[in-house]
Amino acid sequence: MPLYGTLDLTKSPARLPTLGTLDTEAWALPKAEMMQLLVEVPRTSTDGLLPKAMHPALPSYVIFAVTRYPESPVGPFNLAVLRLGSRAGAHPRGFLLGAVASSEPAAKELRERWGFPVEAGDVKFLRRHDRVMGTVKKDGKTILDGALLDPQPIAGSDVQYINWVTAANAPLDGTTQPILIQVDPKYTLYKADRGKPQVSTFDAAAWNAPGLRLADPIIGTCSTVDTDLPRIRFVMDPLKPVFQGTRRIRESRVDE
Amino acid sequence: MKFGLFYEISIPRPWTPEKERTVYNNCLEQVKLADELGFDHVWAVEHHFLEEYSHCSAPELFLTACAMVTKRIQVGHGIVVCVPEFNHPIKIAERTATLDLLSGGRLHVGTGRSATWTELGGFRANPDTTKKSWDEFVRCLPKMWTQETFSYQGEFWSMPERTILPKPYQKPHPPMWVAVTSPGTEIDAADRGLGSLGLSFAGFEEQEKKIKEYRRRIKSCEPVGAFVNEQVATTNFLFCHEDEKTGVEMGKKLGNTFNYLATQLISTREVYSSPSYQSLGLLPALRRAATGPDASEQQTEGMAYGDPARIIRAVKKWESLGVDCINFILNANEVVPQEQVMASLKLFAREVMPVFAKKPADVAAAAE
Repeated sequence: MPLYGTLDLTKSPARLPTLGTLDTEAWALPKAEMMQLLVEVPRTSTDGLLPKAMHPALPSYVIFAVTRYPESPVGPFNLAVLRLGSRAGAHPRGFLLGAVASSEPAAKELRERWGFPVEAGDVKFLRRHDRVMGTVKKDGKTILDGALLDPQPIAGSDVQYINWVTAANAPLDGTTQPILIQVDPKYTLYKADRGKPQVSTFDAAAWNAPGLRLADPIIGTCSTVDTDLPRIRFVMDPLKPVFQGTRRIRESRVDE
Repeated sequence: MKFGLFYEISIPRPWTPEKERTVYNNCLEQVKLADELGFDHVWAVEHHFLEEYSHCSAPELFLTACAMVTKRIQVGHGIVVCVPEFNHPIKIAERTATLDLLSGGRLHVGTGRSATWTELGGFRANPDTTKKSWDEFVRCLPKMWTQETFSYQGEFWSMPERTILPKPYQKPHPPMWVAVTSPGTEIDAADRGLGSLGLSFAGFEEQEKKIKEYRRRIKSCEPVGAFVNEQVATTNFLFCHEDEKTGVEMGKKLGNTFNYLATQLISTREVYSSPSYQSLGLLPALRRAATGPDASEQQTEGMAYGDPARIIRAVKKWESLGVDCINFILNANEVVPQEQVMASLKLFAREVMPVFAKKPADVAAAAE
């Protein structure tokens, strides 16, 4: 059967975010501007980054996303995330390796509600006609400098976003334990561009991904989108294949 | 109704030379038996870099081996990737003509453009242009096979006047097909007079719609070749067993394993936003069908597994929808032991095939 990740999350629970409850309220995030840069990475450089429950993507790739959220329950903020392309069973997922939010309240809420491994820092999203740029600084040091070059309009229907998986300690069956959490935002796209991705600075260790190396660029997109962070519906055992270890903790999104 | 075998050549890890050889030999043994049993076709995919899902990266060699160990069965590329980074069109014309000669005119040429980023990215091909390059290739191939000399100046390739040799054994040329996975490709097939080589596992309702549209449009097609190849083939899993429950259980295991491996591949649309790949191809249906290799539930509508009576019902339904040929996947990751694959083929030939076609006496004898 397909390869599995090798990361045993139960061995280092202290470094995971902790949720007080899995009964998280949803956030509406309208009119977000989201730049995504997809880049292939050598499979060997992802060793130890993917939980045992999940399969690596073939080939391995990462997704850098820098997003400006003009409206949220904690006010406007920018967010940069790094996800590792992977599979939860048969489904494409982006496993969240690291994140930086531009405000302390946003970082705190994202950690405690959805288990984002996020810290506060300086996240800039700049849109120009010849490029869209995302830069991230933490403790004064640039840890990501990326851009979408020569953006060209495409239809929103040409863009696909995959769901996310985060790892966190969360209360389940009476104990707080490491679990995987599916985060599956909705997207309503208003405008989308496509172009060449360029990453000129990437500090892998600062994204909790020491050893991760970038290889071939795939594609970059930038969209204006109504999105959300929904209530948590699915959690997974971090050690079992997800087709055995997935639990639905909430029914459909109709209740949101 | 015609019946064929369809090979991805899926090989489980760890990949030792002996295991690779054993699986290839198993496939050849199945093809040889299928030839004796009266199956009509053996098809082989062209895939690259797809790990356990497929090791069939040189189908022309596998199909040549098939042709050399058989007498009647027709051999088919299912498909040749018509993207210049994968295959130069001159080489496609030469290789297919040679295989047609070696097989004594038993070749079918399926065409397509690849659906995965794993493959397109691996060859550094541009996903935006694969439909267009495919269109050029399928228009050139018949001319390269049939004209004394050929020259071409196109968007994706060109050549000065030369004599492309050898020419195929079949006259005017082998039948041409196109892989149909994405919605709308059946229209591409019909408009060009190509056979519709269905590679998805959609249910009856969806297939019926596609077939009706294909039959309607092909009546007014402008064929790219010297003749119209109006045929509809579909893909299925085969596991035939005297006991229905045993047959269904093994069939589901086969289907779930195949589907699970398929869903590990990166569809182009997943990572590369492009108007050329509006659909995820066959993957959404597979994901719905395969929640895991040990899943107990799977869509079984129309699947050719179970006992002969159950399979006959499924095949009759496909026949009633207008399907001309069903091509069977026999194994995935070797989850079905070889002796059971062989027994399944024999039972199918003995109990199911006679319902759909009269076969020569020696075929009936081979099934005993």
